[in-house]
Amino acid sequence: MRRRLPGLAWLLIAAVALLAPVGCGRLATGPAPKQVIYWTGWSAEEFNTQQRLVDQFNREHPGIQVQMLSQFGNSGYQKVRIAFAGGATPDVMSTIWADELAGYAMRGVLEPLDGYLKRSGRNLERDFTPGVARMLRVRGKVYGLCATTNTSFIAYNKAIFREAGVDPYHPPATIAELDAAARACTVYDRRGSFVRYGFRPGGLALWAYVFGGQWVDPVTGRITADHPGNLAALRWLASYAKKYDLKKMQVFQSTFGSDQTANGPFFVGKVAMWSTGEWAEQFVRRYAPKLEWGWFPLPAPPGGRAGCSSAGGSVFVIPAACKDKEAAWKFLDWFTRAKPVARFCSGIGNVPPVVEAGADPAFQQSALFRFAVNLSRSRNTFGPPGTPIWPTYAREIGRVEGKVMLGGGDPAALLADLQRRMTREQLDAMQDLRG
Amino acid sequence: MKERSYHLLTSSPPLLHPYRRRASRNAQLTGLAFAAPWIVGFIVFFAYPVIASAYYSLCSFDAIRPPRFIGFENYRRMFTEDDLFWKSLWNTLYMVVAGLPVGLAASLGIALLLNRKVKGMTVYRTIYYLPSITPVVATSILWLWLLNPEMGLINIALGKMHLMQPGWLTDPAWAKAALILMGLWGAGGGMVIYLAALQDVPESLTEAAALDGAGKLQQFRHVTLPMLSPVILFNLIMGLIGSFQYFTQAYVMTSGGPQDSTMFYALHLFNRAFLDFRMGYASAMAWVLFLVTLVCALLVFKTSARWVYYAGEGR
Repeated sequence: MRRRLPGLAWLLIAAVALLAPVGCGRLATGPAPKQVIYWTGWSAEEFNTQQRLVDQFNREHPGIQVQMLSQFGNSGYQKVRIAFAGGATPDVMSTIWADELAGYAMRGVLEPLDGYLKRSGRNLERDFTPGVARMLRVRGKVYGLCATTNTSFIAYNKAIFREAGVDPYHPPATIAELDAAARACTVYDRRGSFVRYGFRPGGLALWAYVFGGQWVDPVTGRITADHPGNLAALRWLASYAKKYDLKKMQVFQSTFGSDQTANGPFFVGKVAMWSTGEWAEQFVRRYAPKLEWGWFPLPAPPGGRAGCSSAGGSVFVIPAACKDKEAAWKFLDWFTRAKPVARFCSGIGNVPPVVEAGADPAFQQSALFRFAVNLSRSRNTFGPPGTPIWPTYAREIGRVEGKVMLGGGDPAALLADLQRRMTREQLDAMQDLRG
Repeated sequence: MKERSYHLLTSSPPLLHPYRRRASRNAQLTGLAFAAPWIVGFIVFFAYPVIASAYYSLCSFDAIRPPRFIGFENYRRMFTEDDLFWKSLWNTLYMVVAGLPVGLAASLGIALLLNRKVKGMTVYRTIYYLPSITPVVATSILWLWLLNPEMGLINIALGKMHLMQPGWLTDPAWAKAALILMGLWGAGGGMVIYLAALQDVPESLTEAAALDGAGKLQQFRHVTLPMLSPVILFNLIMGLIGSFQYFTQAYVMTSGGPQDSTMFYALHLFNRAFLDFRMGYASAMAWVLFLVTLVCALLVFKTSARWVYYAGEGR
């Protein structure tokens, strides 16, 4: 018995080795359609909306079969990184944040799409909104396309404006007016605690553009964290920390739910103005259908940029390791055309990044979406700048903002320090890229 | 050559009958074949990554492109330029020095209470043990609500008692304390081990002490505690290692905020590796963490000779 066991063990190994390919192989039955594996970052209802479009594509293209797999959540995005590292990527994926596009593109793991676009008669700058088009180009080449985008603006409660003596039909158009409205709408109780507050600004990364700043020089690619416009924006944010007890404001804000729950401070009338995006509409409809509300673009200071908004979200890419790039492109090209984009965006409540899709009745019927579509076409829409270190950079910008807003740090010194550190970080990344 | 490998593979005396020799060699192979899944797993998933990470720590490596050797540059940067390295190390040491003893004391305290002969004790024991088998992520989300400064049960209770209501996770000065408080909820894990050890404390010893006139406190101090000391050492070492790797709660609840007050070493390491593409730097950080943990554990072991009592050993 004892002598027979090794033989048995070998038999087992042989059996596994023999059976393994069976699981991986496909039964050959005539010329099968080309399989395109597509990883999506959307889940739940949004996944279903997308699945309907994928089904339509598969019906219209009998030679190609797109199989969509959800890679949702943080672990999904880590999986993407591991897939790139191991060269085991799917054929198309939208599991890349705009923030990460430059990093992946410069590491050579994405297929440049310029040739495909040209052959299909498409033009990035003509087809897509300016901010999105700028964001998709990395060092002159196109590395991805978008099917959705978002906008940033301020929503306001008209009833609170009226009560506070601010004209609800002329919302703030300048920073000075915004500050005045914020002050007028803020109410304290006798102990000095907030009963309601006007506005709590946040998001230095975007406000810097409003004040004429920039994070990366678009021509040289140099880090410009200490740009005077960035400093002006940070100083303005700091002025709120001086005027209001932001810690108290934060505690007061945490009393209510997050911005996406029925108890969100805007829905229950505890804040007059709310930094938000077009997705606010579905939440207001769901949680505060009787709320009398309006919206206005981010006000700018004199010499700043009017109508600033952010671009971003998921980017569709073809990995360089994709085997059948033509089939992958067919799907990508189809999905980012006006009609599917309009259907997808209206289905999930996003703004279409494709200019032509914005004219679709689905968006023109809603006042908010008409506004958001217009805003998304602004030249002053900014997506992540084309630096491979943007995820790190964006996080560090957030830390600087936190230090100023809650810790009373010195804006100029913090930005100078950020400039030094990020220049170093970018230099390191570039050195790695050169190999 | 065959003889040599035979000697290497077996510990039984050589010069056996040829048949028995073959049999025992086959037994060796069989044993290895059965252990193979573990050996292969160990080499592929543990030994190789550990060795590779030591090499990567000397490289600039983004996990996608080939590593570029840069010597000790990662270590130099870590010590001289990365403010978050020191901040996160400090935060983590805080959890070790302040959080760990509190946790150990709580486990022991609960174990002592649950070691009494009261009716329905098994029910109480189960209740106290339950939180420690709840997934950390679920616990964390629950505690986000409990710790809410205005609506959370904890501050409502403190308010009713006219006590100070801290901002907990929204206040840099209180965020770590909030996490330590939350950690106490999982004290049941250590409690079970203490309970098992408490049952092993011979009653004859406490009785003898009582006959000699020792009070409850003295019995605890001079009989129970020394008898428990090996288990305290075990919980201390395990807790030490766990505290140095403190991650999940901060990742789920605070992402390191407010103002980096909960930016723990493992979280910073994770961010560098998986957000910033700095796998080489993160590997260097991991090795520093390993060395720090090792030194602390060795220090504990070194002092343990003075305070740990093993039955059967002379003192």
